[in-house]
Amino acid sequence: MTAPTTTAEAARSTTAVQRVTFTRVLRGEWIKFRTLRSTVWTVVITAVVMVGLALMMAAIMQVAADTPEMSEGMSQDPGLQAIGLTGTTIVTFGYSFGALAVGVLATLIVTSEYSTGTVRSTFAAVPRRLPVLWAKLVVIVLTTAVVVAVALAIAYVATAPLLEDAGLSVDLSDPEQVRALVGCVLYLATVAAFALAVGTLMRHSAGAIFTIVAIFFVVPLIFSIVVQATDAAWTDWVNKLLPSVAGERVISRGAATDVLLDPWVGYGVLAGYTVVLLVVAAVTLKRRDA
Amino acid sequence: MIEAHGLTKRYGPKLAVDDVTFTVRPGTVTGFLGPNGAGKSTTMRMIMGLDRPTAGRVTVNGRPYAQHTRPLAEVGALLEAKAAHPGRTARQHLLALAATHGIAPSRVDEVVELTGLAAVARKRVGGFSLGMGQRLGIAVALLGDPRTLILDEPVNGLDPEGVLWVRNLARYVAGEGRTVFLSSHLMSEVALTADHVIVIGRGRILADMPVQQLVDGASRRLVRVRSPQAAALAEALRREGGAVAPGDDGALEVTGVDAARVGELAAVGGVVLHELTPVASTLEEAYLELTADAVEYQTERPADALAGAARPDTPEGSHR
Repeated sequence: MTAPTTTAEAARSTTAVQRVTFTRVLRGEWIKFRTLRSTVWTVVITAVVMVGLALMMAAIMQVAADTPEMSEGMSQDPGLQAIGLTGTTIVTFGYSFGALAVGVLATLIVTSEYSTGTVRSTFAAVPRRLPVLWAKLVVIVLTTAVVVAVALAIAYVATAPLLEDAGLSVDLSDPEQVRALVGCVLYLATVAAFALAVGTLMRHSAGAIFTIVAIFFVVPLIFSIVVQATDAAWTDWVNKLLPSVAGERVISRGAATDVLLDPWVGYGVLAGYTVVLLVVAAVTLKRRDA
Repeated sequence: MIEAHGLTKRYGPKLAVDDVTFTVRPGTVTGFLGPNGAGKSTTMRMIMGLDRPTAGRVTVNGRPYAQHTRPLAEVGALLEAKAAHPGRTARQHLLALAATHGIAPSRVDEVVELTGLAAVARKRVGGFSLGMGQRLGIAVALLGDPRTLILDEPVNGLDPEGVLWVRNLARYVAGEGRTVFLSSHLMSEVALTADHVIVIGRGRILADMPVQQLVDGASRRLVRVRSPQAAALAEALRREGGAVAPGDDGALEVTGVDAARVGELAAVGGVVLHELTPVASTLEEAYLELTADAVEYQTERPADALAGAARPDTPEGSHR
């Protein structure tokens, strides 16, 4: 601040400052996403663990195929038959862990802005606010989709020899199996969007992460027990409409049953919850004090 | 140019900002002065569209802040130190904000250089001192080369050199014809930096005037005079319309007559003077007088006074 400048010169801004557009907000959010080490590590570890779990399950299947007692036991296990065990079940085996990792990551993308005060810088730059939410949505959904797709591709290639031995090769000509693989990508991307909405609504990291874990892991666990323990029809309905139980249907094989929805219907239910949550999150984000 | 009309913000039962109307003009440094909790930060957050006013409106350069297409070119704001993620470097934080306005990375390096952060720009913000955090906040404020600069308690945590730098920066920016709105709870800071001052207390505007006028207008404009013929001098001063009160160790404290006139009167009356000292009222005194009035006003309304007393430690910015 030493160079003397005349008022006339100062009136013209010397710095090129352009209008805020969605693309530019998106670029800013992408810089924020990739410049946090914790984010990058979470993404990498998610992919590695998903591949690892698929390999582990494939190895178990291979051993089982070589062991007559085990393969006989598995072919008669009603639980396994209900899931509909195929090669895709093995390749997508890590989806549950993936949902946890992606859910926490998507939550933190918003809540960490509030806990660190970054949100005030963010909204000072983009005072309309909503572009920030949509940009975060694009970043987390696309990143999740790409990472999960890559993880599944690696898992597919890596498990292929083991699954062939086990007679469980993934059959890409079977539309059901393709749907399960695509469904895994869709499911995790949608969980990310769901968690982003919850984070935006709750703002506090611990509370929002707890909520996500409760909705996707604790409540379904409780209901899986409740459904077994009682004949009440409403428990079946609540259970099959839970976000995780409904959404996971798109990864599974098999048609609707009394206790489970049709795969695409199930995914539609999860997507519906997500859209509603995002709309509520957008409205509150616009209204509340930052 | 910042224009607030009837701006009001209520947090539950507490009226943080109460029907505030003011204008901050370009080409000057306007100080925003008030004790902690007076409503300064809340007002500034409403200007930036971060808090929604309960009533009233505020515009920046003619329209609400959120309606500008290039917000960072209109207003640069330092609202609190460390509004950055501790895991990012200073440069990454700036780059992310710059990207939203298509601002080139070269400008980021420019503001980094300007705010003296070059040595730590590639270090993570988590390790920054309060002063470095403050400098980063100012770097963010300058990023879009804004027409209006809003600085909330900018010298907090800065070393003396940093304080001087902020003072010069504010004066320089205002000298370029831009608007500078700077808050402080330190009257001395405002006196040194600002041309114009808006005093706020308990959410209300107590004064809105040039700093000099605030000082001049202070009722205690005092001349201290000492004389062996004190009685005769006091008599002459009273005839002139001055008020004379006995001060410490036999001196007279004169108000209503300036020092030059006191000297003339003494000469005319043949009175020997041992001391003749004009005592200028400081901004502190003027400010304390203003807030004292506010307190008196409050005590006339016990309900208000109690409501204030029950929550004495509600600092600005504590609500997140």
